Amino acid sequence: MPSASENQRRSRVRIVDILLAILVTLGILAYILDVLALRWGLSTTYIAKSYPNYLKAAWISLYVTTIAYFIGMGIGFVLGWARSVQTLPLARVMAARRREAVAAADGGSPGAGLFLGTVFVYSIKYYVRRTADAYVAIIRGTPLFVQIVFVWSAVIVFYPRLDPLFQGLLSGVIALTANTGGYQSEIFRAGIQTVHSGQVEAARAIGLSRWGAMRYIVLPQAVRLVIPPLTNEYIGLLKASSLLAVVGSVPELTTFGRSEAFQTFHIFEAFALVVGIYLLITFPVSKVVEWIERRYRVPGLGIQAPRTARV
Amino acid sequence: MAVGTILFILVLQTVLRFNILDPVLWALYFPSFLDGIVLTLRYLGIILPLSAVIGFTVGWARIAPFRTLSWPLSVFVDFFRGVPPIIVVIFAAVLGPSLLPARFRSQDIGIIIAALTLAMHSGAYQSEIFRAGFMSVPRGQLEAAQSLGMTRGAAMRYVVLPQALRLSIPPLANEFAVVVKDTSLLAIVGGFELFGSSFIFEQQILFSPGNQLSWIFVVWTAVALVYFVMTFAVTELLNAIDRRYHVKGLEAVTV
Amino acid sequence: MIRVEELQKRFGALHVLKGVNLEVQKGEVLVIIGPSGSGKSTLLRCINLLIEPDSGRVFLDGTQVNRRDIRPEWVRQQVGMVFQSFNLFAHLTALQNVTLGPVRVLGTDAAAAEAQGRKLLDRVGLADKADAYPAQLSGGQQQRVAIARALAMNPKAMLFDEPTSALDPEYIREVLDVMAALARDGMTMIVVTHEMGFASTAAKRILFMDAGRIIEEGSPEEIFHRPKQERTRMFVGKILR
Repeated sequence: MPSASENQRRSRVRIVDILLAILVTLGILAYILDVLALRWGLSTTYIAKSYPNYLKAAWISLYVTTIAYFIGMGIGFVLGWARSVQTLPLARVMAARRREAVAAADGGSPGAGLFLGTVFVYSIKYYVRRTADAYVAIIRGTPLFVQIVFVWSAVIVFYPRLDPLFQGLLSGVIALTANTGGYQSEIFRAGIQTVHSGQVEAARAIGLSRWGAMRYIVLPQAVRLVIPPLTNEYIGLLKASSLLAVVGSVPELTTFGRSEAFQTFHIFEAFALVVGIYLLITFPVSKVVEWIERRYRVPGLGIQAPRTARV
Repeated sequence: MAVGTILFILVLQTVLRFNILDPVLWALYFPSFLDGIVLTLRYLGIILPLSAVIGFTVGWARIAPFRTLSWPLSVFVDFFRGVPPIIVVIFAAVLGPSLLPARFRSQDIGIIIAALTLAMHSGAYQSEIFRAGFMSVPRGQLEAAQSLGMTRGAAMRYVVLPQALRLSIPPLANEFAVVVKDTSLLAIVGGFELFGSSFIFEQQILFSPGNQLSWIFVVWTAVALVYFVMTFAVTELLNAIDRRYHVKGLEAVTV
Repeated sequence: MIRVEELQKRFGALHVLKGVNLEVQKGEVLVIIGPSGSGKSTLLRCINLLIEPDSGRVFLDGTQVNRRDIRPEWVRQQVGMVFQSFNLFAHLTALQNVTLGPVRVLGTDAAAAEAQGRKLLDRVGLADKADAYPAQLSGGQQQRVAIARALAMNPKAMLFDEPTSALDPEYIREVLDVMAALARDGMTMIVVTHEMGFASTAAKRILFMDAGRIIEEGSPEEIFHRPKQERTRMFVGKILR
């Protein structure tokens, strides 16, 4: 019979469950580390001696990531804006404009110049938007490896006498910037469009111009929406920067760890250090973002951000 | 879109001064190119299904009320989400074989292990997708099913799961596209899939005399094109499945 | 047929049911009214064991059913439930919604279940919507399908948790009509509702519930026009214009 003791039993089960969970988790981790350390050797002296170098390498990773991120943000914002503009198929707009021009001219021949001018301006908007779409599609549809190597090849071909480090650095920053620009444009586009719909109408109803509506209504809200995905994008870009290992000349964290591993044969220690540092940076940040999203979530409002900067 | 692509390639050709249809190059490159594509597809044949199975199982387990099950798995997921896949691939390929009994240690086993690690990596992300899918099914559905006398298991099977899976498909399409691109990571541990074999070929171009540097651009443009087509195909396939089974009125999943 | 003794339920610090007693005879229609938060929904869910009471007893046909050795699924097959938010299975058509229970729980053969399903949909006035998906149906239509779905299990009694509260006004009538017809056909019903019109005409008895307790019990005439308790009087005064 359900009674007060039933409740007691349930909370006792809960406590046991939690304790068991902690035990099992730590147990598995300890077992894995033990097996790995035993198999490959864990030299704590190496770790203690070299970790500053790893931290320096991590610093380079962060440096490259940050530069690419903020330049990319500029690109992403512009592209996101361009892509959030509603563009109807060209033919339909032309037909509508033609009708308008005929009606306005009231029987006489419509101002051909005015008509063509509208079409021309509209075409530019349309093609700008399509180009932006194409750019983002390419960035998202091809591996970052390919993007990096493509830029790297171009840099090598056009600047063959540049120091390899700078060649690598330049290629890396360009490729990462282009990459994050594409993904951030998605974020900005989604943010602007999520807010856009009813709000511009309402804003103009109270007398704001389209630009004013953008500035005082849409953008402030969009900013709040895009912050979590943008933060995730930074983390994603940091992880993506590890792909510069293919270039080999930039001593970011992954490249450094790999070369250390193969030179000193302290493979597992190198792995542990690299993984540890990445986790140290990414884990707290993503948990904070999750917490913020959960706390300030408005039901129905949110951006379905595509997974950020990916390979 | 095909028109746009061709236009884009033509523009690229002129700017960077290369000819995408250079027959001399293709005579040399085509074998590597084709082999690379085939190998990529074979890797995908293993990695995609495996990652989906891992993702679904882990996602399911993580919504179970038993913390003993869900906490260790959360650690697993957080690990793979916090670490760049390339580093896990490198070390799996190097350290992995030593974990196996000696008779399994063939030449290529490291790459296979790396591929399996990629499956785990994507599985971690997919578990989040499936988990969100499960949680997006309104609680009332389970209640209603139970009020008809269904056990929790039957309710899951006939009511919650069908809806959760349908909800998961769009984000899954995106993730599958990522897996296609991730196969390129295997190159760094010696895999000969599309990126790997093309990279080796490119190195040969760079260091052999009488080379044409512009060939490099041809190679990478072609490679990019193939990846583009593959990711497009995968997403379109899943979108088609989504359209077939789509139910109006089910809210989208935010991952 | 359904009896409840001294039900208690707490959710954390919230004491939702403070010793509720209730009895419904076969064929009787019992309406429960009361302010939100009074525990009405929790009470209903304790009757079909969707929620396990902390203490107290639930009886179905004289047998106590909230026991460790009785499967709640068995109880729920005997007592149907209709929800405020309809909870139709979104991935199934109306007909499939109705036949799912019989086929998967009762083991009814598919053809027989379909025949019965069509009959039930016809009974609630939706024979032509058998192949429609819930998203294609209005709220009133969805709720009627939900009623048909519950009826398909041949329950001894039906529980209604504010069945019309989520409906647009123009759809309330059609659902209440179905419920009234059900009552006329002799179904044992416990209905939580704010629809006083329905309560006065269809109910044999009305329970007023507040803050986890049954405050007053009586015929519609008594509750609406001659309430004995002050709280009942205040609530009825607010509801009846």
